Amino acid sequence: MSRARRPLALGAAAVILAALPLIVPHPFVLTIATQALIWALLAASWDLLGGYTGQISFGHAGFFAVGAYAAAAVTKHAGVSPWAGLVVGMLAAALIGLAVGFPALRLRGHYLALVTLGFAEIVRLTAQNWMSLTGGPFGIYDYRTFPGLPVEPLAHRRAAYWVVLAIVAASVAVMVKTCEHTPAAKAFRAIREDEVLAATLGIHTTAYKLLAFGLSAGFAGLAGTLYAYYIVLVSPTVGAVGTTSLAIGMAVFGGLGTIWGPVIGALFLYGLNEALRFVGVVYNLIVVGLILMVFVIFVPRGLAGVAASRPRRRQRAAARADGERALGSTGN
Amino acid sequence: MWESIADFVVQGIVLGGLYALIAVGISLIFGVLDVINVAHGEFFAVGGYLVFAAVVLMHLGPALGIVAATAGTFVLGLALYPLLLAPLRRRVGRRPSGPLYLVLTLGLSTFMQNGLLALAGGEYLQVPPHVRGILDLPFTSVSYQRLLVLAIAAVLLGGLFAFLKLHRYGLAVRAVAQDPDAAQSVGIVLGRVFGLTLALGVALAGASGALMAPLFNVYPAVGFPLTVKAFAITIVGGMGNLVGALIAALVLGVVESLAVMVIPSQWQNAIAFAAMIGVLLVRPQGLLGRAVAR
Repeated sequence: MSRARRPLALGAAAVILAALPLIVPHPFVLTIATQALIWALLAASWDLLGGYTGQISFGHAGFFAVGAYAAAAVTKHAGVSPWAGLVVGMLAAALIGLAVGFPALRLRGHYLALVTLGFAEIVRLTAQNWMSLTGGPFGIYDYRTFPGLPVEPLAHRRAAYWVVLAIVAASVAVMVKTCEHTPAAKAFRAIREDEVLAATLGIHTTAYKLLAFGLSAGFAGLAGTLYAYYIVLVSPTVGAVGTTSLAIGMAVFGGLGTIWGPVIGALFLYGLNEALRFVGVVYNLIVVGLILMVFVIFVPRGLAGVAASRPRRRQRAAARADGERALGSTGN
Repeated sequence: MWESIADFVVQGIVLGGLYALIAVGISLIFGVLDVINVAHGEFFAVGGYLVFAAVVLMHLGPALGIVAATAGTFVLGLALYPLLLAPLRRRVGRRPSGPLYLVLTLGLSTFMQNGLLALAGGEYLQVPPHVRGILDLPFTSVSYQRLLVLAIAAVLLGGLFAFLKLHRYGLAVRAVAQDPDAAQSVGIVLGRVFGLTLALGVALAGASGALMAPLFNVYPAVGFPLTVKAFAITIVGGMGNLVGALIAALVLGVVESLAVMVIPSQWQNAIAFAAMIGVLLVRPQGLLGRAVAR
């Protein structure tokens, strides 16, 4: 996407997303769209860590679950308002992200992926076994959702959609801003390309990796809180590896290292996933697995890469060489 | 008291033998290809389904069933390298692959798990014991099924180690694990060794799936928790270190069984993962590994 057309495209996307409840006032469609937005936030948060800094987390389901459980628990047991619950869940996930990220800083690649995978499994097992806090296999349910929303079902769905859209859009904007227009932007990429070189250049790699970990886990947790207040049921399955798998699939599908790529990838893939439910519940995940494999092998830059290289055919070869260096690239 | 301890130890050794088959396969593949196979447990599930098809549906007898499961997963494994890993390898070239292979095998895992779900449904399929009867020991008693698991696991692992030590191709596999470039320069065809290693690794998983089918039931997601636990074992044993994986697997199997007496069983897996994380943080090369920069 060229710089000149970018505001235009963003504006068009914003108008379409915001007007969706008015164009298609159907509760089922709105439910799907709202959940797609929550997934978009999770996929984008994974991309911040995986696509920009190259730190591969297999534990985002864990951060998502921490956010969801923290929000649901404080609202149910302590009567905390859901608006404050959003902050509680996000902070809890960010703190745990730092706690996981700090000791894991020494590890790279495979090892970091395995540690985070183990972490997520521990979260899931805790959720399943700590009956008094998490409700065990049945989870936490029967607590308040966002206060002040209309009672009438369709109007309620509409309002909830707008709430989720606003929070997701703001979060994605913060992530794009951090990853493109702050000193962190260059540091993240330098760490991804060559951590040792980055450190020799005077980049404080530890601090920036922790920043990426905290931000990524925090936004994954925020996605979890939105899920908790939208679905009003949190059970151990949210922490299952499938959640991480789907989020990574969305990010790879959309194009790593772009933030907006994974957002579009998530909206698209979640839509496809739900549409394929009519064919059969298992076929959608078969397709997700296929997309993961095909995109990793043949389209490592994802949808974002395809969109970026079309208008500039001559630069395509150069862009491709650039994009292959890591799974993702800068995108524009 | 002592009888129950003996009981748990015997069960733990059988469990450890199972873990060893899976962990050694993962460690072998990692050592040679530098790829962590996230889809490894799915081959365990495929092995279970193959033995179910052979024994329950086609009445072929358990011996044929186990052979069919091992051979079937071996053939599937042969297809893995040329179909999935080689194209990615060509694309990536000599650049660091980062998360690519992890994402690729994660995709394969999702694909296979749900493919099995679509093909066979989500029911828990039961496979009758391969052998019936119970062996009475002074302290405890063991079912022949468990002894069979242990015996076949020992034979398979012994065979693998002998193959790696003695056979020409085994030597080639070890050479590639040590230094792919040097191996290539003495005329070893890398692609062939990679394909063979993958096939051997997943065939071990397939064989263990077939062996454990009567004890575990067969369902699409049966293998995944085992994969995650095998990761923990390979890390504790040192990635790529086959003997380390074998010892760590037996120790974890016994410790897990004994821990049931102290800690509620539903926390077992969490403890295994916590041990993995602890080892990774303190000694990333594994308890038995040499110090290497990661």
